[in-house]
Amino acid sequence: MFNVLLGNLPYLLQGALVTLWLSVAVVGLGTLLGVGMGILATTRSRVAQTVVTGYIFVLRGIPVLVVMFLGYYAFPAFGLRVNIYVAVGLAQIVYLGAFVAEITRSAILSIPAGQIAAARSLGMRRPAILRQVILPQATRIAIAPLLNSALTAVKQTSYASVVGVWELTYAAREIVERTLAAFQIFIGVMAIYFLICYPLSLAARWSENRLSFSH
Amino acid sequence: MIDVRDLRKSYGTLDVLKGVSFGVAKGVVVVVLGPSGSGKSTMLRCINQLEDYQGGEIRIDGVPVGYSTGAQGRNAHSEAVNARLREQVGMVFQSFNLFPHRTAIDNVMMGPVHVRGVAKAEARDLARALLAKVGLSEKADQYPAKLSGGQQQRVAIARALAMQPKVMLFDEVTSALDPELVGEVLRVIRQLAQEGMTMIIVTHEIHFARDVADRIIFMDDGVIVEEGAPERILSGASGARLRLFLRRYQGDYLAS
Repeated sequence: MFNVLLGNLPYLLQGALVTLWLSVAVVGLGTLLGVGMGILATTRSRVAQTVVTGYIFVLRGIPVLVVMFLGYYAFPAFGLRVNIYVAVGLAQIVYLGAFVAEITRSAILSIPAGQIAAARSLGMRRPAILRQVILPQATRIAIAPLLNSALTAVKQTSYASVVGVWELTYAAREIVERTLAAFQIFIGVMAIYFLICYPLSLAARWSENRLSFSH
Repeated sequence: MIDVRDLRKSYGTLDVLKGVSFGVAKGVVVVVLGPSGSGKSTMLRCINQLEDYQGGEIRIDGVPVGYSTGAQGRNAHSEAVNARLREQVGMVFQSFNLFPHRTAIDNVMMGPVHVRGVAKAEARDLARALLAKVGLSEKADQYPAKLSGGQQQRVAIARALAMQPKVMLFDEVTSALDPELVGEVLRVIRQLAQEGMTMIIVTHEIHFARDVADRIIFMDDGVIVEEGAPERILSGASGARLRLFLRRYQGDYLAS
């Protein structure tokens, strides 16, 4: 029943490799960008706060696929030729960054003001307060939601296929077009995505249990 | 040591402090009483510049707090200057505000290590001594979540003392405690008073105030209404507002 799938497995696995690279880049850079912006949003600079909240607000109101299309067409619109992976990857990074920024921002703001007052009254200044009081606690609070948004971003790489990026889903649809064995191919694709995502979802569940009431 | 002159503060259009003036000499314990909203906590937080203020002057050992008045008018101090000031003014809060992700001893070490750059081993010795002083040696490696309210507050006192401040400010430090835990905290404060620490204590514990205070200040609605020695203030010879306050907080205190 699964001969076609098995026959085309090598091709699918190549696609899976591309998906993996794409996922690592998007999650890695998107999280970095988002954490940076999230921390910026909690400084006293009005400019920083406005910019970041604006960025979060706009991006959370647009579907990721639309952002990807925008990324695809943005560069040519300005006369630039950019690799399609870079263009669409950047779009996803910017998109993930907005969600991560919001998670980071709320985690930092959830630290009770009383602790900040206590730290200040000891003579601590903002960098030390961030490093010693805020970030250790905010990180624990943010890890589970961050892992969840990473998981979502990995799955969203499949949308890139709609824009024309060659990765696992694109490869799957090529095979289906050629062989018409849609069901077994997509069962295989489902299994591969599950295997890619499994470590992340395990980590997310583990962090929920281990870190929520640890202090 | 502490000199407050005509302190004024408002939150927007709401005037919270309307011209408060008093002084605290070295080694003196001043207790501030007053109803909620009288501005006592705000005044305390102005003294260590956790809050800014719009009018008047605060000086600690002659050094102005928060603002300097020069030829060009009033200049706000930078956060760096304010932070240095706060190293010398210890504060203990109503809600303890311990760092939950650090053990008791790590909490106490926080100031010396991360503000003064003291070596960890030395800071640990100091912290151990302070925890012993507040009676919590055996709880040094516990996290705050495992400590009772009274124990947490005593750790908070040790943490403030670790910076070896000139002055200690106590902001209703027993108000959030179960009655049976209040005594252990008051005992520590009394001991500090006996050792000659300069303190400003905002509290509702009127019996404690009578015990420990060299002077009592009664505030209401942003101003100091009465000020004087405990025996005089808390006897029958006090004004109407104070009597009303005492009646509310201690029922038949005046009768006893």
